[in-house]
Amino acid sequence: MKEIVLEIKGISKSFYRKEALNNVSMSVYKGEVFGLLGPNGAGKTTLIRIINRIIRQDEGVIRLSGNIMTDDDVRMIGYLPEERGLYRNMSVYEHLMFLGRLKGLSKIDVNQKIDYWLDYFNINDWRKKRIEELSKGMAQKIQFIATVLHEPNLLILDEPFSGFDPVNVELIKSTLIEMKNQGRTIILSTHNMKSVEEICDRAALIHHARKIAEGSISELREERKSGIYAVRFRGNMIAFVNALWAGFEVHDKQELGDDRFVVTVKMRNDNTFEDLLRVLLGQVKIEAAWEVLPGMQDVFIDLVQPKTEENEA
Amino acid sequence: MKHSILIAVREWKERIRSGSFLLFSVLGPLVILGLIYLLFAFGGNSKQHWKVLIADPANVMENKILAHPDPNIEYAFADGYIELDEFRDGKRYQEYDALLEVNEKVLSNKLAFVFYRHQPDVRMQTRIQFEYERRLEEIMVKQFTDLSIADFRKIKQPMNVVFRDVYDPHDEASDLRGWVGLVFGALIFAFIFLFGMTILRSVNREKSNRIVEVVLSSVSSRELMLGKLLGIGFAAFIQFLIWGIIITTGLYLMREFVFMDMFDAANMNVQQLAMDASDKSYQESFLAVKEYNRFVELIYERIQFGNMIGFFLLFFISGYFFYGALFAGLGATMGSESDGQQFVLPLIAVLCFSMYSGYYYMNYPESTLSTIFHYLPFTSPVVVMVKLAQGYESGHAYEIYLSLITLIISAFIMLGVASRLYKNGILQFGHRLKLRHLLKWLKKT
Repeated sequence: MKEIVLEIKGISKSFYRKEALNNVSMSVYKGEVFGLLGPNGAGKTTLIRIINRIIRQDEGVIRLSGNIMTDDDVRMIGYLPEERGLYRNMSVYEHLMFLGRLKGLSKIDVNQKIDYWLDYFNINDWRKKRIEELSKGMAQKIQFIATVLHEPNLLILDEPFSGFDPVNVELIKSTLIEMKNQGRTIILSTHNMKSVEEICDRAALIHHARKIAEGSISELREERKSGIYAVRFRGNMIAFVNALWAGFEVHDKQELGDDRFVVTVKMRNDNTFEDLLRVLLGQVKIEAAWEVLPGMQDVFIDLVQPKTEENEA
Repeated sequence: MKHSILIAVREWKERIRSGSFLLFSVLGPLVILGLIYLLFAFGGNSKQHWKVLIADPANVMENKILAHPDPNIEYAFADGYIELDEFRDGKRYQEYDALLEVNEKVLSNKLAFVFYRHQPDVRMQTRIQFEYERRLEEIMVKQFTDLSIADFRKIKQPMNVVFRDVYDPHDEASDLRGWVGLVFGALIFAFIFLFGMTILRSVNREKSNRIVEVVLSSVSSRELMLGKLLGIGFAAFIQFLIWGIIITTGLYLMREFVFMDMFDAANMNVQQLAMDASDKSYQESFLAVKEYNRFVELIYERIQFGNMIGFFLLFFISGYFFYGALFAGLGATMGSESDGQQFVLPLIAVLCFSMYSGYYYMNYPESTLSTIFHYLPFTSPVVVMVKLAQGYESGHAYEIYLSLITLIISAFIMLGVASRLYKNGILQFGHRLKLRHLLKWLKKT
């Protein structure tokens, strides 16, 4: 059984009359990348601040490795807020030293870690640069280093890829995957669903202060599949359509050239994937066929977007 | 506390590295020394020299002025009437700074005009009027009375009524000493205000650039605020120390090398002083010089700097925490940097009120309001300095400790209030700060 690193149970928080979180519960397992998703203003940042003990919940408990969290436990967390700043007058080294020391590291330890991370990102020559001399992307790297400097067991990253160019986005992603492989747990709050698909193992979605979904990425996608299958074939498109007859509906098609196509098909009645393959065999030359799962972008929209018909019903 | 110290060290380093800190540390005391130098060098007498032409067609003054006129004023007489244009433009009158017209009816209408080329200072005006008046007195006494001029002047001598405190018959707690206390109080407030604004800006900047959220994920808001207060306060203390060293050294050097004669009795012209003392105007002038010398004496001899500096530091530190916490709390509640502007005016008003309380205390030390000011934490740092400079009455020394304890307790309460504002306001962005926000955040635990 997987070990729960962070257990959030029944968390509620209101700012005067505005409800920010309502009875939110979720569990984050050791060594996973957990996506904390939700539209703007859903309550993600409030939850993250509560986990970091920057603000206190009105109700509920948070357990870290099985124990109710205390102020001292925040040292085990590395937090990269969405809107993050740096002390502009300090040098890169001074800044990292200051934040490392605040996390309880000794000077010697901080020095070692600074050396390691500046080497890792190949930015040793920035050491003495003042923060105000750095570009946005450079500053983002320093902020990332400051977050991971004390080797926290739990990383909470709010939009960690914003401000980075694609090369650095990949670098940060691979760093996060490396950390995950080392057994660290990462909570990733982002609106970039492509990143969620790529690196998250599980995710939870908060909407209007409530958790509306939680599960592994594949589960979340699976739950929202709508019976659409894709077929890649060589042959005649008319023969393909004629073969489908009344039991199936062409959803989308894409011509690859050289009489090759990819067509997505929606099942009608009680027809199955096997039925689809059966009717196509002999009509076209099937190269590949698979079930189309919705992307996290679709899952997100599906969960968040108001369903007019349902509401009317 | 360890976190607060780390934050304090960071704040302190940031302050002392800034160019303005170094500039203010050195230039500030040098400006004060310069002002003291000017006061010492030019406070005693005026060097202005004037030539006055007296146009006296009726020869009322008989071509005479006092036996010992002011050496800085040279008189000449013209027995004819001089047109104003002629005096203004005529070549032969250009050497004169002023024309004093004596009309033939002056003894009855008591009116004379002095036309000057450049505005004379008040002292010069007083001197000319005095010497002219004196000469006319001689003429009138001779013409209208049988008295000798000496007897007339005895009669004319004004009665001096001096008010003295029965507990301080020798007037040791003079106004001048009170002023020195007020200057000490002003210094406290200047530093508190200056560094209070630094706190406000620093908190606001951290909030605006969002570094505060990163820091708050490692330390509590209370630790952050306390660290900030300690760091900036320590920088203020260092700056004050630099001021103290430069001003003390400067005063010492002035005494030893620049104004040596000011303190040397051998350099005093006793004959001249005796002669001047017989002349009422010189008495006034002498009093002014005496007052000025009292200032010098006060600076070097009468102020118990050791005692004052000790309490100055205690009130400075306590006052700093009291006001600094207020500034930090306000800084944390601002929604934007422009919010700071609307707070500057009320804060300056509080500062002016505190300064006025010191002045009020000097004038009405026994009033109930003065007693309130003495214990009110907003005003006590200034008022206590004034009272301390004047000296506490025997058996009343406990008042200063009572005031200090009140201020310390108030500083702790203010720290509590401010940390609540800080905690609830520091992560609120984009609003326009209103009183209801403050009340809301004060109530919230």
